[in-house]
Amino acid sequence: MPRDAQKNRNLWRMSRWLGCPPTGNSSEIWIFRIGSPLGWIVVPVILLIIWQIAAQWLNQPWIFPPVSRVIGQLVHPFREHYASGSLLSNTLISLLRVLLGFLLAAVAGISLGIAMGSIRIIRSSLEPIIEVLRPLCPIAWLPFAIAVFKRGTLPQLFGFGYTRTVFDQVQLGMVFVIFVGGFFPVLTNTLDGVRGVRRNYLLLAQALGAKRRQIFRHVYLPASMPMILTGLRQGLGLCWFVIIAAEMLPGAESGIGYLLMYASDNAAMDIVIAAMLIIGSIGAFLSLVMRKIMSGLVRWHGKEI
Amino acid sequence: MTHGKINNLLKEKPIALELRKVGKVFRSDTGPKLRALENVNLRVLQGEFVTLVGATGCGKTTLLNLIAGLDTADEGNLCLGQGLRFGDNIAHVFQHYTLFPWRTVVSNVSFGLQMRSVPRSERQARAAKLLASVGLEGFEDAYPHELSGGMRQRAAIAQALAIEPKLLLMDEPFGAVDDSTRNELQEMLTNLWQENQATILFVTHNIDEAIVLGDRVLVFSERPGRIAREFKIDLPRPRDRMAKEFTDLFIRIRTALSGQLD
Repeated sequence: MPRDAQKNRNLWRMSRWLGCPPTGNSSEIWIFRIGSPLGWIVVPVILLIIWQIAAQWLNQPWIFPPVSRVIGQLVHPFREHYASGSLLSNTLISLLRVLLGFLLAAVAGISLGIAMGSIRIIRSSLEPIIEVLRPLCPIAWLPFAIAVFKRGTLPQLFGFGYTRTVFDQVQLGMVFVIFVGGFFPVLTNTLDGVRGVRRNYLLLAQALGAKRRQIFRHVYLPASMPMILTGLRQGLGLCWFVIIAAEMLPGAESGIGYLLMYASDNAAMDIVIAAMLIIGSIGAFLSLVMRKIMSGLVRWHGKEI
Repeated sequence: MTHGKINNLLKEKPIALELRKVGKVFRSDTGPKLRALENVNLRVLQGEFVTLVGATGCGKTTLLNLIAGLDTADEGNLCLGQGLRFGDNIAHVFQHYTLFPWRTVVSNVSFGLQMRSVPRSERQARAAKLLASVGLEGFEDAYPHELSGGMRQRAAIAQALAIEPKLLLMDEPFGAVDDSTRNELQEMLTNLWQENQATILFVTHNIDEAIVLGDRVLVFSERPGRIAREFKIDLPRPRDRMAKEFTDLFIRIRTALSGQLD
């Protein structure tokens, strides 16, 4: 019996790194892990070839640039475009805005979600407001955010003025809109997670002598962790959506969304498509990272006893 | 004369728990009132192993929850013996959801110690020792879902014992495991009880289990729950299920229970 359990445990440990349930079927694990070569290599290559042929045949690169020109942009990420920065610098600016807004949203969403889920009076007093604000598109907050924060940036907030660093591009209005975008998915998922915590676990903790404050930290938080992580993943995805849209609006001066719009105004469709590929890849990467964290943190999920 | 001296004179152990005329009513918004317990009188002495048998849904769990301080009685008095305190040295072992699925076995066992701010190294050491005493050495870092049902209940018992309870409440803890595992667990629990000198109140719907474990068997009536009969079990441990005294008791308790069912 112990040996069996040991083996079982190793299998689970292994599966955690592989990111899939232990089926004992190694080929299945490989496909799951790296993905089938069909989807990752064959289909994209076919599409790229069709694209290249079609673009050369049309011969209108300002509408439909050939693959070679887009790749030409991607392999020179440091090249400056029209004094508005490079692909790389603008991507970093966007990422910095998103991470800052998302972190604030995560902290606020998780705390308020746990409070609302476990204390009835907080829930009943805030639920209607949240139900009205939640369906509101985060971009709709942008004019209001700009009116409130003016052109204030992060270093200005802390009294540093103009620092000649990338932080000067982190406008508080942008961060606020990102915050709104990430806040609601995190909040609603955390709330659902906390409300779904089995009463039995609360009783068990209480029977073992846990005080109210300890129950928050040691029961509500870990028990709703799967839902919290789902909320964080959705929230981060939405933040990445929102920043691109916000940067494409008039008034923006930097960011990958701004570069995309600026390039479009200058009929540089190769840069537009290069920016689109970068935005999509980063979105996929962020989602993958969150998934990885999730499977590592909550490998007990779905196996409650 | 003080209470303690009287006890000595009577050569009786001190009282761990006493219930007088305890009643409990559940009120729901829609349905009728439900009388779960009525006029429950119970006295448990320190170090005693008392088992409670009764049909499912007769209020046994409600009674344990009252004693554990997880719920409050509507009528009557509940007195805890000297040194017993809610949320401190009264432990509870449930039938289901006995372990936190997000914690490893060793961290489940040390949960109660963690709540009492015992330093990490000390609680790890104590948990490891307890795990060895319930036969789970080597499973410290396993998660509950990786254990069998019987192993989970072993871990749950270690988890309860970790807070060094003076009173151990057990709510059908072996209700969900197969017969042979159940027998192993009963044997282990008897040994642990004899070593630890704890008072145990054990709820079950299995008559055989009630006789194997208890010093006394209390037969619980159906709704509203009351203690209908009491049987003293004077058989030597470990108990022989084939002995005539055992089977006689079994029949008498069974008759008492089915009398309640009619």
